Amino acid sequence: MNTYIATFFMHFGSIRYERLCKSKGLEARTMPVPRSLSSSCGTCVRYKADEPLFDPDHDEMEQMVICNEDGSYTQIYLAEGLAK
Amino acid sequence: MTEKKNDKLFIIIAGLVIGVIAAALAFAGNPKNMGFCIACFLRDTAGGLGLHKAPPVQYIRPEIIGIVIGAFAAANVKKEFGSKGGSAPMTRFALGFFVMVGCLMFLGCPFRMILRLAGGDLNAVFGLVGFVIGIFCGIFFLKNGYSLKRTYTLSQGEGCWMSMIEVVLLALLLVKPAFIAFSEEGPGSMHAAIALSLGAGLVVGVLAQRTRLCMVGGTRDLVLFKETRLLWGFLAILVAAFITNIVLGGFKLGMAEQPVAHTDGLWNALGMLLVGFACVLLGGCPLRQLVMSGEGNADSAVTVLGLIVGAACCHNFGLASSPEGPTPAGKIAVIIGIVVVLCIGIVNTYVKEKAADTATDAA
Repeated sequence: MNTYIATFFMHFGSIRYERLCKSKGLEARTMPVPRSLSSSCGTCVRYKADEPLFDPDHDEMEQMVICNEDGSYTQIYLAEGLAK
Repeated sequence: MTEKKNDKLFIIIAGLVIGVIAAALAFAGNPKNMGFCIACFLRDTAGGLGLHKAPPVQYIRPEIIGIVIGAFAAANVKKEFGSKGGSAPMTRFALGFFVMVGCLMFLGCPFRMILRLAGGDLNAVFGLVGFVIGIFCGIFFLKNGYSLKRTYTLSQGEGCWMSMIEVVLLALLLVKPAFIAFSEEGPGSMHAAIALSLGAGLVVGVLAQRTRLCMVGGTRDLVLFKETRLLWGFLAILVAAFITNIVLGGFKLGMAEQPVAHTDGLWNALGMLLVGFACVLLGGCPLRQLVMSGEGNADSAVTVLGLIVGAACCHNFGLASSPEGPTPAGKIAVIIGIVVVLCIGIVNTYVKEKAADTATDAA
């Protein structure tokens, strides 16, 4: 089981994604983005799952990271049109 | 959990520092209860540039310059600077415009609302009530699908514009060419020394960038996610400014004859309702917009331009309140503002959702 954090462009992206996670039976919570990650709207969804969950119907997700045990993050997704 | 605890402690300390600075600036020369006011200071800057002709409120405020440059510097040092934009710029311009209409009805942005509360100005309680109601109006749309669509990475130069403009404004302030207006009386003539104001702005800009401080974010996050971090920043400013006012003798409890304020409770509340509502739809208060414009967010820079144009129109069209009270035209403008913001909420929540649903159904 891994812990993931997904950040979003606007608040409703987080709200809708949290609903999606919960509908799949995943433990998920909408919360402010940790300061070491950035986000347009300041909110993210932290959830636990074996595999990352993507929502092909909506393009609201900004990035997704996997939370490492040492407290660092590894980016596994970045929306098209964004550069780091 | 440790990161979360540190975050909360950091924003409380930052809030306390900002509160002391903001209250103290009023004793260093700024108008009473106006150590900081993003709306008033953008309005004064617009006046300084001659965008409106209200003689008492014309001065290029160094605090604004400091906040943007401070945020720019902090974001660059921490490698968080990034040119972004493309999320409904004209809608954001319109929202910024009407945020200013609401602010100048109340006579202050959410930041000054805190400072007025901390100075004992009970008129600000009406403002706070309206502000919270406005935030709830915005949250209703957030919960139901409101979105201004995503941002995109832009070319590096795009995100530098607001910071470069502030550097030019600083040059104009220092050189004082004949075409720049400086108030000889009224709030615009009351200001701390340039270096002091600029320094205060820089400190606030850096702290606000690092903490993501936002005056509407506190209430919004509490209601949406039961998250109190940003609210602690808001409360820390209030407490620090209150104590500073008590110590320096600037606390005066009451409603009548408060500095740069009027006593019309209904319109104080409606003005801030418009501000709270529009700021939630924007994603941040005027301070946060300024800070994000320094971080390279072009959408926030457009919002700041909306605030400036809004301020100029408010004074050119007689919409801004004065200590005598609101104007009839200002009341009409606030009502129009609430209707326009409501329409923006509806269009970007329901109309778009319907289109997306249709597309999904078709697929």
